[in-house]
Amino acid sequence: MNPSLKLFLVIFLSLELTFITKLWVNLIVIIICLIILMHYRFHWRQFCWLVFVPLFPALAIFITIVLFSPGHSLFDGTVLFSRLYVYVCLGTVFTFTTNTLTLARSLEQNCHLPSKYAYGVLAALNLIPKMKQAVTTIYTAGHMRGVNLHWWSPTLYFKAILVAIQWSDQLAQAMESHGFVEGQARTITVKIPITTRDWVYFSSILILIQIIVIALP
Amino acid sequence: MTKRSLHLRDIILLALIGIIFGVIYFAAGFVYNGLTILLTPIGYGPMANDLTMGIWCMAGPLAGFLLKTPGAAFLGEFLGAAIEMFLGDQWGAANLISGAVQGIGAELGFTFTLYRMYNWLTLLISSLTLTFITFGWDWFRNGYNHFSGQMLTIMLIARFVSMFVFSGILVKLIANLLQRAHLIKQ
Amino acid sequence: MTNINFKNLSFNFDDQSILKNINTEFKEGKIHLLTGISGSGKSTILKLIAGLLPKYGGKIVTGTVDIPTGAQVGIVFQDPLMQFALDTPRHELEFTLENCQVPTQQIPARINRALNFGNVQPLANRLISTLSGGQQQRVALAVTMAMQPDILLLDEPFANVDEENRQFILKQLRQINNDYHTTIIMTDHDLHGYQQLQPLVWHLTNGCLSQLSVKDSAHLLQKGINQKLTTSLPTSDLPAIINFDHLSIKRGNQNLLLPTDLAFIKNKTTLVTGPNGIGKSTLFKAIARLLKYKGTITYERANIQKLSPGKYYRHLGLVFQHANDQFLNVTVGEELALALKTSQNPYFNHQQVQSALKLLGLTGREEQIVYSLSGGQKKKLQILLMLMRGQDILLLDEPFTGLDPGSLKNVLQLIKDAQTKKPQTLLIISHQLNGLDGFIDFHLKMNQQHLKYVGGSYES
Repeated sequence: MNPSLKLFLVIFLSLELTFITKLWVNLIVIIICLIILMHYRFHWRQFCWLVFVPLFPALAIFITIVLFSPGHSLFDGTVLFSRLYVYVCLGTVFTFTTNTLTLARSLEQNCHLPSKYAYGVLAALNLIPKMKQAVTTIYTAGHMRGVNLHWWSPTLYFKAILVAIQWSDQLAQAMESHGFVEGQARTITVKIPITTRDWVYFSSILILIQIIVIALP
Repeated sequence: MTKRSLHLRDIILLALIGIIFGVIYFAAGFVYNGLTILLTPIGYGPMANDLTMGIWCMAGPLAGFLLKTPGAAFLGEFLGAAIEMFLGDQWGAANLISGAVQGIGAELGFTFTLYRMYNWLTLLISSLTLTFITFGWDWFRNGYNHFSGQMLTIMLIARFVSMFVFSGILVKLIANLLQRAHLIKQ
Repeated sequence: MTNINFKNLSFNFDDQSILKNINTEFKEGKIHLLTGISGSGKSTILKLIAGLLPKYGGKIVTGTVDIPTGAQVGIVFQDPLMQFALDTPRHELEFTLENCQVPTQQIPARINRALNFGNVQPLANRLISTLSGGQQQRVALAVTMAMQPDILLLDEPFANVDEENRQFILKQLRQINNDYHTTIIMTDHDLHGYQQLQPLVWHLTNGCLSQLSVKDSAHLLQKGINQKLTTSLPTSDLPAIINFDHLSIKRGNQNLLLPTDLAFIKNKTTLVTGPNGIGKSTLFKAIARLLKYKGTITYERANIQKLSPGKYYRHLGLVFQHANDQFLNVTVGEELALALKTSQNPYFNHQQVQSALKLLGLTGREEQIVYSLSGGQKKKLQILLMLMRGQDILLLDEPFTGLDPGSLKNVLQLIKDAQTKKPQTLLIISHQLNGLDGFIDFHLKMNQQHLKYVGGSYES
């Protein structure tokens, strides 16, 4: 599906299910997401991660509502428990099936997002591994100077932001010297279309979910 | 004062700041889980969310302080949250919405001071706007409407304290260092 | 097309004067080579031509830079990885050609031509971050050439590039200049291999730029400054402090070091040399536990992976290649105060610190922001701070970059003085060997995935 449409759908569904207290729709969305992920050959280790990550907050909310809230509602607890899995499943389906460059191109072409946002963020995303390394270096530099930095140490953030300022400067200069000019028109190598099929998928999923929401508790 | 739009360099910087917070939070994620395990048996499990909320909301106020440009706080917070989704954290797609909600909360602090003041008052106001706006969102998202009035009051206070400590005090300390190193535009 | 003109140009960064009243003409269609120690302002000249400065910082105090109207300027930067916005060579080329508004149907052909030119077709869809420094620079050159520049700038392009790729790129530059009459201006501190380009050689010192005579240029390019060194081979009866047991290191899929057993001798100074891009810094990072490796590294017979970071780094320090990585505070005074507080070398009391500052020419800068020091000052402060910390082992990664001969002498003196109260094991990576004879005990050469001690009297 077209990445922009997919993004819109994921956000819309997350938003809608936040304001609706229905159980079945949550479960069905989770199951559909899992089927999609299996279709895309999701690794079993990634499945375990998917189950584990939201487990603590989900259990905390469930226990608190069922045992400690005035209503003691098992239904509400289950809805909220499953809702967290809805969020994570939708997020995972999106990130797992969407290439960031295609998303950036789609946002630029289909949604007319200024290219400085699309490519600025994309350029930064490529630096995630390097940023992890840089943070490790800061911790190490601290140790070597006899200072134990913690995640709440202002120095840690200060040093990391210093690195970020330098990199953003370098990258912006590099992009500019590769011909990028803010606000200037660009041509397109790969056209990202929104096809009739995309619209059909998009609207049938939306309608299907609305029917489930209305029909089932 | 500088009324300018965000340029390519600023956008890359905001995204990188998002990545920094993403990378560091990820390592500190155990704080959240630890608090959850501690608080759940006494019926305050979701309060781990309130107590750590300030940590997740540092990028926005810091970005606002660093760039002093309308939209910087919003974008810093939103990009931070979006990048966390790509790193694969526990809130998934809701991150995009939470990020937008938190971004608005952070941005309002600067809007209310008309993008002219960058001091403690600004941070106090942005802590307040962040507290109320994110609490409103959790009212629906995390089912806070099911809790008793007393519990809600305690959680609201906890959230404000967390907000003020992390996205207020800690952000100010970081901003002070940047200011002294002449990295913040006057 | 006409020449590139600098008229009365003076340029400042913050309040530091970088270029002073430069009047110069870079002739079109020629290859120009700018020399001078690092930090002398060579990059500044290139970025002024590329139009990146003063837009990205600094200020033109007087004068003008004129480049021919409508000329397309391409630039290749020193840090290979930091010049790509996208993940693969193909995507970066697409991005660049889209920026240049090349019509969609022409893009694939232009990409193929650029890939062919850089001889990087097999790398087209690989992640740039997994390529070697040399491959990255070949990609950078290919991308720049896709823009069909009239003026091609290269800023220390070979800093992380191995010999083979260096020769390849140099050959290509000659071809570009021949075929397209492209004006090429580049900076480098290592001048070997440039003869084939027959460049016009410029020297930048103290902010002033001058062109060398034909004779001086030929002399400079021919000589490839060789330094006499006298070192001995370590013998097995000497006590070791760091040992490698089948240590091997990889970068991506590429072997940097094949399984090696080796010992570093306690309280001695070992120099580590080798061609660019061979993995010397990576080796230091492995010893400093900053990256993964195979095999075992031991410190005083203990596996370093089993020591807590707090403990290990109390005994081992790294003088980072980028001085900024070393600093933790804002001002020079704060850095010194921290170093005094955590010092493990009794040599450094208040008084000695003051005389060390004097020796290094850093007196009276306590209030200054460390990040606003010049490159050479940062380097000197960084070395002083790490000497004060006084670990048993100190790894120094290119510590002498940007130091003039006088400063270098003083730094070496300070290192010697600091050893009088607490002997240290020093491992030094340095491409510049001037003044190091007599200072080093052992010399370790890294080449073709191997480490080898060399001894005797020889030119290096």
